[in-house]
Amino acid sequence: MRILTFAISALLIVTAAATAEAHAFLDHAEPRVGSTVPTAPRELVLSYTQNLEPAFSSVEVKDANGARVDLGKPSISAGVMRVGLKPLPPGTYRVRWQVLSVDTHTTEGSFTFRVGQ
Amino acid sequence: MSRYMPLSFALASFIALASTSDALAHCFVGARFFPATLATDDPCVADEMSLPTVSWSKTADMPPASEWDISVDLSKRITENFGVSIGQNWTQIRQPDGTLTSGFQNLETAFQYQVVKDRSQELAVLAGLVVDWGHTGSTGSGLATTYSQVTPTLYFGKGFGELPESLSWARPFALTGQVGYQIPTNSFDFTQSVFIPQQLVYGASLQYSMPYLKSEVIDLQLPDFFNHLIPIVELTLTTPVANNFGNPYTTTGTVNPGVIWVGSYFQIGLEAMIPINRESGSGVGVIGQLHLYLDDMFPTTVGQPLFGGSSAAPRKLTF
Repeated sequence: MRILTFAISALLIVTAAATAEAHAFLDHAEPRVGSTVPTAPRELVLSYTQNLEPAFSSVEVKDANGARVDLGKPSISAGVMRVGLKPLPPGTYRVRWQVLSVDTHTTEGSFTFRVGQ
Repeated sequence: MSRYMPLSFALASFIALASTSDALAHCFVGARFFPATLATDDPCVADEMSLPTVSWSKTADMPPASEWDISVDLSKRITENFGVSIGQNWTQIRQPDGTLTSGFQNLETAFQYQVVKDRSQELAVLAGLVVDWGHTGSTGSGLATTYSQVTPTLYFGKGFGELPESLSWARPFALTGQVGYQIPTNSFDFTQSVFIPQQLVYGASLQYSMPYLKSEVIDLQLPDFFNHLIPIVELTLTTPVANNFGNPYTTTGTVNPGVIWVGSYFQIGLEAMIPINRESGSGVGVIGQLHLYLDDMFPTTVGQPLFGGSSAAPRKLTF
């Protein structure tokens, strides 16, 4: 019986959380994670499951030699982060991102994509 | 029920109002997320609640009895790296002749400190002290003991994200584990005339994260449901190691294959419980759990540590 009352109380709390936010997971990317694209993309688009805080979210793209190939500061709107890319020769590129969702939860990750191989 | 309801509401209200500082989250270590496991514990302090965990199994008795367990666990960070959890388990055992025994086991608490959280290595280490408090359950029914048990425990979690490109398919794997030494506060049970052994309580989980596969290795464009799954195998074992005079030093435990579905605010887990030997049970049992991420559901209140959180703006993220 104690568990039941405990459970009911907890569920009341849970249902009150109508406007909660959460960790921002990477929902999808373009170019896709781990994909090979025939032509060089002009920008990288990262879409997240939550809205982002622009001032505290960033991304970088490096080639196989570790040189930056992104155009710097990304543009962020709601849960989408975009960054322009330099002309990319065929090769493998690594994307590293860190984002802060609007409720101050941080998440990070990295992945690669390939151009023309 | 009405006797306890005001207390439960008061507790719930206190929890909702008490924490006002700013901090981070459940078990994220770099790009790795360790889900809450059902039979063992994950390697992080957290603001979480298992509500409920339900299991069914057949005991090792001959003939075996049916056992239901329903438990609730609440974990709360006191500071960024120190947390406390409290759990209560209700058990019902039905003998083959229909005789029912039911009641609460002893109240369990755990005091845990986050020793390591290495983002680049996806490594987490947690030190804890688990205490089962004697005389807090149904001692008359035999489901709870009159003595307490203290279990210093070490927990760990390690992701395989550092594997080379040629083994990138294996990067979503992660291993978690725990090792504890259980010490009863009494050495002899006079009601049953048996020695109360000191025991090694240990377990592990091997898990494969589909969310990690999708976001870190390759997006296979699977249906979204599958991208939230973490197939898992858990192993939980107990071995008497001291003060076990006259009894066999038999290891008991279960192997639990199953799967956890991970969402933004909660996860749902379901596992089979396969006894490792005859002394561990009869036939295959099952365990299920609904687990709530309080830090995501209530990021500005319950989901933050009580003390030591920063009220300042979050730091600029750098690589």
